[in-house]
Amino acid sequence: MTRQMTRRRTRLLAGVVAVVAVIVALLTTGLGKDPSVIASPLVGRAAPNFTLPQLDGPPVTLSKLRGQVVVINFWASWCTECQVEQAALDQTWRQFQDSGVVMVGVNFEDSTGAARDYIRTDNVTYPVVEDTNSRTALAYGLRGVPETFVVSQTGRIVNRVIGPVDAATLTSEINSMLASA
Amino acid sequence: MNAAGTLRWARAGLPGLLVLIALAAGLATLAIVAVRGHPPASQAQQVQQIAAGLHCPICKDLSVADSPAPLAQQMRQEIAQKLRAGESADQIRAGFVAAYGDSVLMSPPRQGVAGVVYYVPLLVLAAGLITAVTLLRRWLRAPRPEPPGAGSPQLSATQRRAVARAVARLREEEPG
Repeated sequence: MTRQMTRRRTRLLAGVVAVVAVIVALLTTGLGKDPSVIASPLVGRAAPNFTLPQLDGPPVTLSKLRGQVVVINFWASWCTECQVEQAALDQTWRQFQDSGVVMVGVNFEDSTGAARDYIRTDNVTYPVVEDTNSRTALAYGLRGVPETFVVSQTGRIVNRVIGPVDAATLTSEINSMLASA
Repeated sequence: MNAAGTLRWARAGLPGLLVLIALAAGLATLAIVAVRGHPPASQAQQVQQIAAGLHCPICKDLSVADSPAPLAQQMRQEIAQKLRAGESADQIRAGFVAAYGDSVLMSPPRQGVAGVVYYVPLLVLAAGLITAVTLLRRWLRAPRPEPPGAGSPQLSATQRRAVARAVARLREEEPG
């Protein structure tokens, strides 16, 4: 075998190894990601303002809650996962309602009657508003319910939880924001 | 030319004349369309066009134009409302991207990492062309193997002597 042929084969082998390395790197990066986690461009940005009618009470305007930590939870009475997280939301509300924290439930694609029944049955005590035309849901880039947004005292979205939220996550988020205030 | 001859001449030339008229009419229509441009799309068509380029966020692989989901319906209404307010298609798309990210677009954007999908095929095509040209040039430059019998074989003195001996022997063996 001539030296030229050996050199050519080495070059070919190096090329194949480089291509395989790139493919493996891409696959490893892709497979290492959780496919259920969708990056939200809203995290870190100002929370879109809204004024929505409350089911039982005066309308709620987000900008008027500036200076408080706001937990915005999108939910619906037909959503089974919303029932899963309800205990965590109630617990967090009871724990922080007198500490500069506001929780707002935003009812999504639901009937007023069904939403009222849900609130009564589950004894929801935080304000619940109706997003009748889903405009607020669109402004928040909603992909389904439940979804929870945590808004800082300065009005910025600091976290978005897709799916049922747990009390530990909420408590830790809120505590860190209250501590930094 | 008499009347019958004129008639024959007219009949013979008729198909060609019809083709000529059809061509002229086609060209004239194309010219008018090119000058006047397409008629402006109605608002419903504009809504449909923008919605067709957006993913329904709560559906799997359906555009906002095709989805029957209430959220998609709301998105179509929002598009119509924004068009009435004077926003351009790009501004409307940018509004949805601001809330949902690039994943709301049916086609990935041309800039950023997603833009790679547009350029990789071109790069692969260019690499293929370069490889093909290189191989072709190498093939054209390579010395051709000579056909058997062409040119004189390079024989050593010993081989030449052996061949001469064999030829002489054959001649001796030849009858007469």
